[in-house]
Parts: sequence; C-alpha cells; structure tokens
Amino acid sequence: MLCQPDDKMNYGLYTAYLGMRARLRTLEVIANNVANASTTGYKADALHYRSVEATEIETARRTAADTAQLDGTPASTSDAALRSLRALGVTTGGLFDFSNGAVRQTSRTLDVALQGDGFLVVQTPRGERYTRDGALTLDANGQLVTARGDLVVGEAGPITIRPGEVAISEDGRITVGNQEQGRLKVVRFQTPNADLLKESDSLFAANTGAQPQAAPQTRIQQGMLEASNVNPVGEMALMLQNNREFESLQRSITQLMSMHKIATEIGKI
Amino acid sequence: MPSALFTAATGMQVQQQNVDNIAHNLANASTVGFKRTRLEFQDILYQNIRTPGAASNASTPLPVGLQIGLGARAMASQRIFMQGEFQRTDNPLDLVIEGAGFFQVRQTNGEIAYTRAGSFHLNAQGQVVTATGEALEPAISIPREATSIGIGTDGTVSVSLPGQVNAQNVGQIQLANFVNPAGLEAIGRNLFKETGASGQPTAGAPDAQGLGRINQGFVEGSNVNVVEELVQMIAAQRVYETNSKVITTADRMLGTINQAVG
Repeated sequence: MLCQPDDKMNYGLYTAYLGMRARLRTLEVIANNVANASTTGYKADALHYRSVEATEIETARRTAADTAQLDGTPASTSDAALRSLRALGVTTGGLFDFSNGAVRQTSRTLDVALQGDGFLVVQTPRGERYTRDGALTLDANGQLVTARGDLVVGEAGPITIRPGEVAISEDGRITVGNQEQGRLKVVRFQTPNADLLKESDSLFAANTGAQPQAAPQTRIQQGMLEASNVNPVGEMALMLQNNREFESLQRSITQLMSMHKIATEIGKI
Repeated sequence: MPSALFTAATGMQVQQQNVDNIAHNLANASTVGFKRTRLEFQDILYQNIRTPGAASNASTPLPVGLQIGLGARAMASQRIFMQGEFQRTDNPLDLVIEGAGFFQVRQTNGEIAYTRAGSFHLNAQGQVVTATGEALEPAISIPREATSIGIGTDGTVSVSLPGQVNAQNVGQIQLANFVNPAGLEAIGRNLFKETGASGQPTAGAPDAQGLGRINQGFVEGSNVNVVEELVQMIAAQRVYETNSKVITTADRMLGTINQAVG
C-alpha cells in the first residue's frame, strides 16, 4: 500500500506519488478555470500546496503499529529514521481568487456589475445563495430573477418591476420613471475563502457559521457585466509548469524503482 | 482518470455554442426587426473534497477547503430587446415602433404572433400583411382606389380616396407588450410567440400606457453590432483553443503515468 510506507524506499515513492496526485488536481482546477473563461462573474480557483509533516503520517502509522503489536507482530524497525524526516510530500487546499474581473459594457438595463467585494443575494429552493453574476431578467410576473429563474432578494424581499425604462443607481435602488421599485440587497463576507463554498450556476453558499454583512462600499453599475477573472495566459503558463513537475516526479519514481531493483540484487549470490 | 479531460470538453462545447449563437446574430445583421441573443454561461457542479473548517488533524482546522469544479455550460440565451437603428424607406407601409411594444399578426394557423419587423405589404384582398403573409391584427384593409396611406403616431390608419376632400379613417393599429419580453419564444420569420415566461400580452393603442409611438416610412434595423460580435467570436476561438490545450496536457500527463508503471 502506498499510503503505508514501511521503509525508506517506499517513503520516497509515496512522496513522489503525493506530488503527482497534487499536480493532477492542479490540472483539474486549471481545466475548470479555462472552461469558465466566459462565465459571467466567475471567480478563478487556485490550489495551494501544503507540506505533509512526517509527524502527521507518523501518528497514523503509530496507530497501525500498535494494532500490529497487539497481534504479536513487531513494529517496523525504521521508525527512528522516519521520525528524523520533517516533510514528506504535499497535499492541497483550494482558494478562490476574489479579485474583480474586467467589467464590460452591455448597455442592457438589467445587467449589473458589482464594483467591490459584495454579492447579490438570490433565493433558491435550498435557501439564500450569493452571486456576482448580474445578468438579471424578469419573470412572467415582473419579478427580478437570475438567468436560472431564482428570485433576486431586495432589501424588502423580492423586487417587482413595472414595465418601463429601468434605472439602477450605484447603491442598488431600482427606479422606473422616478418611482422606486425596490433596492438590491448586497452583502459581503469577512473571509470569503473560508466563509463561502462554490455551488453550480455561479452561486456561492455560506459555510456553517458564516454571517453575511452589509456591503455599503460595493457600487452597482448598470448596463455592465463582470467578466470571468480567469487569466488564460496565466493558466497556460501554470499548466506547462505543472506538466514539467509531473514529468520530473515520474522520473524520480522510475529512478527509485531502479535503485530498489539494485538493492534487491545486492542480496543475491 | 482525472476529470480535467471532461471539464475541458465542456469548455469547448460552451465556446462551440457561443460561436453558433454569434453566427446566428451575424447572419441576421441585416434582418429588419431582429433582436440579437447572448448566451449566459454558468459553472457546473463542484466536488467537495474537503470542506473549510474540517480538521486536518486534532489541532489545526483547515482554513480553506478543496473544491474541484467540473466545467461550464450555457444556461440561457438572453434576447436583448434594445432598439435597432431606424432606416428611412419612405414606403408608406414601413412602420417602426419607437419605444416598447410589438405588432400583433395572425398566423395562418390562427394563432397570434408578435413582431418588431414593421415592414408591411398589401395582399390581393387589400389587407395589410407581413412579407410572409401574416395579417396585421386587428385586420386593416386598404381600399383598392386609395391614392395615399397615412399612419399616425397613435396607429390611426387613414387613406385618401379620389374625389374626397377629407382622409377616411380605415382602422387603428394596436400594439402589445409583455412584462418580460425576453421570455418570448422566437419562431422564425421575425415572429415571437407568447410563453409562460413572457407573461400575458397587454394590448393597446400606440403612444399610450407605456407603448411606443409609430413612425411611418421607416424600418427598424437589426440590433446586431457586427464589430462586437466579431470581437466576441475572436475571444470564443481563443478560449476554445485554450481548452483544447488542456485536453492535450491531460492526455500527456496520463501518458506519463503509464510510463511510470511500464
């Protein structure tokens, strides 16, 4: 088993395996970013690598070794050597890049772009969700909805807009012919990366315990949409680098395996 | 098998649909009364590999989680009902709606359809019809001997007849509007059909109750902006290429794994 290294040789193999696994994950993240290069309000994902401390692995092994001793089999003799190693490879965590995407003009009255760190609030069957995709529309009752049909939440519940030329101010007030129809609710999160989970359809869900706060600093721009903040050039460069690292790791596995073979052959007469 | 191959495939499919849509818009850059559409893209499905706040070991909760997305899809085609440019034709039966509203026409199957393409003609019976023969609703007939046709901003149709001093009123054009015009279904021939998303039509005389004014002797051009569509097409092509590079790389990495085992 790769996840139960029991000598130095397999230890190296395991390290290389973790490295390759992390780079495959990175490729999956790049693929999703590039696929969403045209998704309005999309926020790019990034992986950050964390080293797996040998002690973390050690705790897991110790438990296994204890069980082994109960069975009457001795624990591995190379424990001391293992403990001297500090880090043993890499694991991954996800981060969203919450920087604003480029804003492009559409001149459509129900398109809004958010300048700042705020989110629009939408009502879904699963509860309130948050989005930066401001391509809004009306439903058959004149209520403001997203392209998916979820109601947009205003400061005083759903917003019904009567026919006419719609104006949306920077603070989210929607007026038709000087008559206020409602005000968009805009919220922000203290630490978006820990507070939000991505869902499909350009929606974010609040993580357990996360509280949305009012976002008076966020300005609403009518007739504009926020493009995806994916940088295709950066993604391509990262993909090349990722691929080279993957190949190097593969070579180190080949190398370790040939060393293993030599070591085995030494014992032969 | 890493999901990257399939994720990149969704990216390519989305851009393919994008180019299909741009092609349709460009093909209709000269179609009277045409309203362009825009595809709305959204991300799909995330695999939650680790949730933020879950413990990595007893003492350190993870500050961030790990979610891996599985690509993009086109969620909706948004029709943009912006006014097209008015083109002067001086044809008395060419009409534009300045503002909101649709002409109502009766299709051959009896159903009412709605259009912004106000390029009308007379049929053999003297009825006002579209270029494809759908009669304006309510029906308006022009007497055969009429020497001129005048249509007012409120839709009143009057004709001059030989030997008569005063113009004779032969009817009034009615316009219809919807709560959500973007919810109308395009059925070809410049016509739209009511749907559950558009809401019920509210008909009325032009230049009243929020409906637009009628101008005679003009047609409303397509609202497709050719330059913008071309720029979008270039962007779509580049993103398509980038997605295909991801597929190539995913394939190369899978090949590398096979070497390691071999």
